[in-house]
Amino acid sequence: MSISSPAKSPTFRPSPHVIRLGLVVLFIAVLIVIGSVLTDRFARSTNFLNIYEQSTDLALVSLGQTLTILTGGIDLSVGSQISLLSVLTSGLINGDGSLVLPVCAGVIALGVLIGVVNGLGVVFLRIHPLIVTLGMGAVLQGVALLYALGPAGSTPDGFDALAYSRVGGLSVSATITVLLYLLVAFLMRRTATGRAIYATGDEPAAAVLLGLPVRRVTVLVYALCGFFCALTAIYLVSRFGTGQPYAGTYYTLESVTPVVVGGTMLSGGRGGVIGTLLGAYLLSVLNNLLNFMHVSTQIQLIAQGLIIMVAVSAYVERKKVA
Amino acid sequence: MRDSLKTIFLGMLAVGAITAPALADGYQGAPRTMLFNPALTTCLRNTAQYKKPPPYTIGFSNAGLGDSWRVVMLDEIKQGAEDHKDVVKKLIITDAGHDDSKQVSDVQDLVSQGVDLLIVSANTEKALDPVVTRAMKQGIPVVMLDRRISSDHFVTYVNASDPMMGRLWAQWIVEKLHGKGNIVLLGGQAGSSPNENRMGPAKEIFAQYPDIHILDTVYSDWSPVKAKQVMQAVIAKYGHKIDAVWSAHGLQVPGSIEAFLEAGFKPGEIPMHTTADINGALQDALKYHVPMLEIGDPPAQGRLAIDVAIKVLSGATVPCVVTVNSQIGLTDGDETPSIPHPDRAIKDMVVPNGPPDLLITNDLGPTYNPATAHIQYPH
Repeated sequence: MSISSPAKSPTFRPSPHVIRLGLVVLFIAVLIVIGSVLTDRFARSTNFLNIYEQSTDLALVSLGQTLTILTGGIDLSVGSQISLLSVLTSGLINGDGSLVLPVCAGVIALGVLIGVVNGLGVVFLRIHPLIVTLGMGAVLQGVALLYALGPAGSTPDGFDALAYSRVGGLSVSATITVLLYLLVAFLMRRTATGRAIYATGDEPAAAVLLGLPVRRVTVLVYALCGFFCALTAIYLVSRFGTGQPYAGTYYTLESVTPVVVGGTMLSGGRGGVIGTLLGAYLLSVLNNLLNFMHVSTQIQLIAQGLIIMVAVSAYVERKKVA
Repeated sequence: MRDSLKTIFLGMLAVGAITAPALADGYQGAPRTMLFNPALTTCLRNTAQYKKPPPYTIGFSNAGLGDSWRVVMLDEIKQGAEDHKDVVKKLIITDAGHDDSKQVSDVQDLVSQGVDLLIVSANTEKALDPVVTRAMKQGIPVVMLDRRISSDHFVTYVNASDPMMGRLWAQWIVEKLHGKGNIVLLGGQAGSSPNENRMGPAKEIFAQYPDIHILDTVYSDWSPVKAKQVMQAVIAKYGHKIDAVWSAHGLQVPGSIEAFLEAGFKPGEIPMHTTADINGALQDALKYHVPMLEIGDPPAQGRLAIDVAIKVLSGATVPCVVTVNSQIGLTDGDETPSIPHPDRAIKDMVVPNGPPDLLITNDLGPTYNPATAHIQYPH
């Protein structure tokens, strides 16, 4: 996946990233086996189709986060972006079916714009992305609360079909998310921009020397992250029937988890989006399994934390071997 | 005519039978909200379509814990299942940690675990609406507990009457202030139905008095710590201009009173507060001479929800809303025309040396302590 990996592993051994992807798949398989042994209703198709659907929001927001992390950055404003964009979506639609398309288009444009501002901040202020996006997050949360202190507006009948509709049992939104992942993975491999994203994170100074458009790439990844935040916000409004000024709070850090679990290095330059998708599935399976095992929420949090630590330490081992 | 009489009779039977196991102290008849209801008939739900033979698996999707009221309410629901373990084979509890997204998934997971009935305490009323509506469409009866969804797509809703609490608190404040003064609204969690359905009706009362001004509306997330923080900011801004604090529950009241004390308010100077359930608020009222009206929001509604669930699964007719009676408590000398005398004086309700987070309205017995209790239940 990473353009640097072929150079670093001249033999035909699988690249470290492929091994990481294998580990995530193995983790998922282990959880499914545990679930099947411990509870009789876990390994049913209805439940797996639920898990597939339930992964959508996290997968969508984490797709954008993967891109910022691949450039060596991070976007800590995703939670506030989702909050603001969700509250605007339902607040502006306010039950009027004819406003659905224009409002959604406007919200997506606003998401991209917020991302562009984030990217320009990173490029021109030369402040670490963590600080730029943290500041942006605080501003956006404030704006969201200025707009509405609680749930705002409503959605017309049928708008929830976006989140809940299924074709042949498969969630439509989850399938669209998978297609988006495949598209981004393809573009990352096959386009000069994709390779420039990896190069920017791998060795920014070298990327500049090579004449790669590092600044443009940086703005682009934050813009894309804003785009995916907007899609997540619209999806959540469809799932909940309304937007809320705190709807996104949990996603700021949660969006990083599938990225890390999926084998993308926080230092940038290594990893890929498919790992993130698998990471989102791993977390969905885990949450669902813990529910089926009647494990309390407090223990669920501990289990999630341990899984992250185990996963990440497993990769560190692999890195040393490689 | 005959039909409507029959409906009323059936309704009273259903209501009477359901309210019987509720609180031990004070008024125990049909809900006062029903007695005062000006409508000729009450809404009843025929549940014949949900009738099935026991044993039952009941799922409870909880919004979350995080405050002492919800801890006690969860123990009450476990006790309810234990009381009926002859017919309740299993009670499956999920906890969403106050995360809408997790609660939507929790409801889906409970449905795919094959529960016979769902009890849902919705984190926020709109966000859970689509998924609860879908569960009902799949034929699974849903009983809302304490926190409802915004639509009526459920079988029944067990709660204390939020609008009644909100209005009575507001009317008492208006009368205490002789229709003139400045009020702060100290809410719980924005967007949750107990908050919205108490605050909205209260505002409708205040709106009828042009000389009553709402200085600010702040949210405590039902936490005394957060209440203290937000009230410190409000007191810094308005100081002695604040004539009354309308609080949507008692959980946040001790934090608010602490904020007044730290701002230099002397005992007797702290403005009147409204409250519910929490021992610490009553202790503070007596210690610092704060005029206080308590209207209970008994966590025993958790236990009642299991009774109602079993009625639904046995095909009995149930009211569309099952209200537990709230007992009214008041500090001495603070009677008004709308509260001419309370059910109990606050000095008689308080547990003077008890923990501040004790809920005086629980019905789990005198030795019950939420911190140490371990309620057995079928699971």
